[in-house]
Amino acid sequence: MNGKETMGLRVENIVMSFERNVVLDGLTLDVPSMSFTTILAPTGSGKTTLLRIMAGIDKPTSGRVYYNDRDVTDVHIQERKISMVYQQFINYPSMTVYENIASPLRVSKEKLSQKEIDERVQNIAKLLKITHVLGHLPEELSGGEKQRTAIARALIKGSEFIFLDEPLANLDYKLREELRGELKTVFKGSTIVYATPEPIDALSMSSHVAYLSKGKVIQFGKVHDVYTKPRLREVGQYFNDPPMNMFDCSLSTEGGSARVVVTEELKLDFSKYKGVLREREYVMGIRPQDLSVVQNRVGMISFAASVEFTEIVGSSTTLHLIHRGNKMGIVIHQPEKQHKRGQEIRIFLDPGRVFLYGKRDGRLLIAQGQVVADAVPAS
Amino acid sequence: MAVIELKNIVHTYRKGKKETEALRGVNLTFTEGCPAALLGPSGCGKTTLLNILSGLLKPTSGQVLFDGKDVTDLSTEERNIGMLFQFPVVYDSMNVFNNLAFPLRNRKVGPAEVKERVREVARLLDLAEVLGSFPRQLTPSQKQLLALGRGIVREDTAVILLDEPMTQIDVHQRWELRRELSKVQGSLNITMIYVTHDQYEALTFAEKVVIMKDGLVVQEGSPEELYGNPKTPFVGYFIGTPGMNILDCRLAKTGLDFKGFKKEITPELRAKIETYGPDFKLGIRPEFVHCGLVQQKGWFPLKVKVVEDRGEFKIVTLTSDAEELKSQVPSDLAAEEGGTVWVNFLEDKMKIYKDDRMIN
Repeated sequence: MNGKETMGLRVENIVMSFERNVVLDGLTLDVPSMSFTTILAPTGSGKTTLLRIMAGIDKPTSGRVYYNDRDVTDVHIQERKISMVYQQFINYPSMTVYENIASPLRVSKEKLSQKEIDERVQNIAKLLKITHVLGHLPEELSGGEKQRTAIARALIKGSEFIFLDEPLANLDYKLREELRGELKTVFKGSTIVYATPEPIDALSMSSHVAYLSKGKVIQFGKVHDVYTKPRLREVGQYFNDPPMNMFDCSLSTEGGSARVVVTEELKLDFSKYKGVLREREYVMGIRPQDLSVVQNRVGMISFAASVEFTEIVGSSTTLHLIHRGNKMGIVIHQPEKQHKRGQEIRIFLDPGRVFLYGKRDGRLLIAQGQVVADAVPAS
Repeated sequence: MAVIELKNIVHTYRKGKKETEALRGVNLTFTEGCPAALLGPSGCGKTTLLNILSGLLKPTSGQVLFDGKDVTDLSTEERNIGMLFQFPVVYDSMNVFNNLAFPLRNRKVGPAEVKERVREVARLLDLAEVLGSFPRQLTPSQKQLLALGRGIVREDTAVILLDEPMTQIDVHQRWELRRELSKVQGSLNITMIYVTHDQYEALTFAEKVVIMKDGLVVQEGSPEELYGNPKTPFVGYFIGTPGMNILDCRLAKTGLDFKGFKKEITPELRAKIETYGPDFKLGIRPEFVHCGLVQQKGWFPLKVKVVEDRGEFKIVTLTSDAEELKSQVPSDLAAEEGGTVWVNFLEDKMKIYKDDRMIN
């Protein structure tokens, strides 16, 4: 082995099939050491399957798993020094919270004194705000406290790799909100792999995100990079709440210009990108947060849409709109007036905020005013 | 369509010697055609209340009235209720058409009428294209709409009860399902009562939101009222993403003293709260907590503990070491974890509470 080791977790060409169902189809991913990496995908995409293979609970049909360059594919989970947190708050029902948290230390190969164990338990309990329930049994706890206990148990070992499978899924909305902010800080010092279908988990807590589709990772990178350059239409649409608006459009090259046309009113002059626009059909993406009801920038185009549904939550309003059969959403912060169902309103779009995707392959060509580097076709 | 009243509902669960008071005296009226939500944390009693409404549970005491008629002793079937659960309840062995037709055929409705009614409901629910499909071919969202369709296909359905119907639905489908549910509610003007712990779902669906805690109704009103005028700190905290910051403070000569920082207040505000003083709880929503990198008069410094990226904005957890609060800031604010920022609250957005009651 050379001196330059690849620290972190690597899964290489993982295939996982159950009978005739291929869940993971040649998946390769490098999780950087000390990162908080989210595996983001809709329910049923294979996130849990991947996590279980990474942790060593299941063996892949084929493919290898490496921890810090060491092949651990055939290493039993007990030998791996990892921790896992599940959706269903798993705690030992007959032990107190204190004992639950202490248990990994009691069976650990490190011979710790009672005093050392106590200190670590108290520190972790304080970090997770469960000091006040240390003497209780799991059945006496609220959902949030149970999950905090499970997380404390996972943390106390000081494992290098910690896997979390939608740990917030069974918690109330408010508890999820609270824990999101906290989870970001409690896991410093480990490499975290976190599976979730919620884009907000990826955005709030993670340093990196891997988007899973059809058994493969189709985009991986730092959260900010994936958010600003979602390289496939599926990623762009998914990694936004409400989903990114997507419009089928076609290219019109009359008079030497290049216009991307959704409808007569909704069309953009993309002549400056002529070089990369070689197809006829495209998909235009624009975030609901990037549409506006006021013209606040030069060069905005405008179109009329009618309101299908209004969602008012606090100081922001989200409208479900329709323009000539094209459904879309817009988010308005601190709106000046109410909008009624059926009302026609004027919508403004800044061409500089648009994502343009190929129709056939869904690949990102133009990202908010920039041509995507490898989008230029070989001539 | 029905006006639904709950009168003095009390319910206690008994398991051996153990007693749990799930509902401690609930009085509510749901008017015809008004979408309503029962919102609250786990254990607040909302599911118990829903089960009493549906007839699955008989309350320990109290009455349930549909259009003035006492239905407390009637079964679910006798109440003409449609229900949506967390898991879509549809017949997997029947296609969409037959699923929708089933409740009508059960009532011996003639084939021509069944066909017409099913087509109408399918159109309303955007399921017209999939009438021949089977549930396994539908998205989770479509399955829920099918379950809803089975509830509304009978024209004598009095009310639709929804028990956390979005639980199994992913983020994007929730966006669509919210729109579809609202469309159905608006078109049919049917009474719908939605139970959830998700304040976003409640606020976007309902015109009347009932917040519950520990077996009691804490506040009821429109989403705007609950958001803008939370009567108690709990409501302020529960509504909003993130919820209202609730901070302990004390009235001092120079203003309000918080744990680790101070803020001046106007004489007008002082006059309003002085008589109740000196200890209060202050509620201020994260979007009204302003942060900047430059010191300004009257602003106070706090440390940045956590920065959560939300795409188009950030949620920053601020700390004075003795107190924590959250602020919503534009995504381009260069606030770093561990750094210091200057903070201020808008006085007219501050809610002052004394003994769990709003006093300003």
